[in-house]
Amino acid sequence: MNEKWPMLKIHNASKSFNGVEVLNNVSLEVAKSDVLGLAGPSGSGKSTLLRCIQQLEILDGGSMECDGKIGFMFQDFQLFPHLTVLQNLLYALNLGEKNARRRQSNEMQAKIMLKNLGIEAKASMYPYSLSGGQKQRVALARSLMVDPDVLLCDEPTSGLDVATTMDVVLLLKSACETGVTMIIASHDLDFLTKISNRIVLLRDGKIVLDVDVKQCQDPVNHLKKYYAD
Amino acid sequence: MDTVISNCIYLGKGLIFTLELTMGSIAVGLALGVFLSVLRHCRICVSLVRGWSSIIRGTPLILQLSIIYFSIPNLIGVRMNILSAGIIAFGLNSSAYVAEILRSGIESLPKGQFEAARTLGIPTFYMWRDIILPQVAMNILPTLVNEVIALLKETTLISIIGGMDIMRRSQIVAAEQFEYFMPLCIAGVYYYCLAMLIEFIGEKIERKVAYAKNS
Ligand SMILES: Nc1ncnc2c1ncn2[C@@H]1O[C@H](COP(=O)(O)OP(=O)(O)O)[C@@H](O)[C@H]1O
Ligand SMILES: [Mg+2]
Repeated sequence: MNEKWPMLKIHNASKSFNGVEVLNNVSLEVAKSDVLGLAGPSGSGKSTLLRCIQQLEILDGGSMECDGKIGFMFQDFQLFPHLTVLQNLLYALNLGEKNARRRQSNEMQAKIMLKNLGIEAKASMYPYSLSGGQKQRVALARSLMVDPDVLLCDEPTSGLDVATTMDVVLLLKSACETGVTMIIASHDLDFLTKISNRIVLLRDGKIVLDVDVKQCQDPVNHLKKYYAD
Repeated sequence: MDTVISNCIYLGKGLIFTLELTMGSIAVGLALGVFLSVLRHCRICVSLVRGWSSIIRGTPLILQLSIIYFSIPNLIGVRMNILSAGIIAFGLNSSAYVAEILRSGIESLPKGQFEAARTLGIPTFYMWRDIILPQVAMNILPTLVNEVIALLKETTLISIIGGMDIMRRSQIVAAEQFEYFMPLCIAGVYYYCLAMLIEFIGEKIERKVAYAKNS
């Protein structure tokens, strides 16, 4: 298998809301198993780009091609409040699954996933009783349960304290090790440089910078220059 | 004392009729109301649902009841019994109100819940049945209980097509015995007990689902 096979190809994507252009001819290729950080100030179009990739929004122009299943992690998690943690993980997977043995193995898999994330004790709890970091884990687990080839994460650290942010870095890193391609949108450059091998900077719906994190001496400061003016 | 007991028994038969009528109507109203409110999210059906809602809410219930009991059998040549005509009329009527309650419940749910269901590949039918409607049901339960109590009180209109409900029976007793106070009091107590029963059941359900109220 070619490691640098493009998993996702975006060509001249554009999108406007009420006449205001939010994405302006964005072109981007993401290689398989890449972890791409999507940086940019608030309002630069990061969420919109992710939502277009997931087809929650329809592009006005340009094209997108994805070579696999997409998983999505919402900024505000969007866990199902009336289902327990375990049910949140299993519901979509077990839909239409009549084979009892496979349902059982799905449940085993979900429990292992919760255990790896350190929240196996919460399996039968409802989302309202979880902390922000715990909800984050459940959201990650839920999006990984359907076995995506590409995982899109929108601001996975927003609203989390420093220690929990570190946990999320480790979590996402361990998810990368499974070979899943990731695109992580965040305004937090420190966080992004810790986790991604490539960072793309969006400003006013345009890609203004594309850096290879390992090739760069001081990626945070390098990127910061483009943030200001 | 004997007359009190015999009046209680006589009106008690009306209590059963009223209960059947209310439960039948709310069953029809809920089923049709859920159907209508989901149909609202299908582009071609929106104006159909809106039109239905508008007609139902813009005409008197007594007229709707008369059309169903007197004029429809005339047109199609089949006579309906009073209870079924009542259940159909009150059920159709409350479906519009239930649909309206559901609509605001659905609209107040975060859009992200629909999107989360979509990103997980949950088909539309299951999304509505297992993800959206259970949450909406939880949120609108108190309003729905009010609607059922309002419906209970509206069923008194059944007397215009000859339905022997609590109200009608109390008037018959009053006319026969030239005494209004006692039969009307009994009727009041019966209605109040029914309303309290509905509220009690509503609170029971509410307590049971309260765990997921705030996410
Ligand atoms: N559904 C929408 N309707 C109207 N405007 C929107 C919508 N979604 C996003 N926008 C606008 O698009 C711009 C980019 O938003 P977004 O993609 O959320 O940026 P970011 O995630 O980088 O903060 C903002 O100005 C926002 O107001
Ligand atoms: Mg955003």
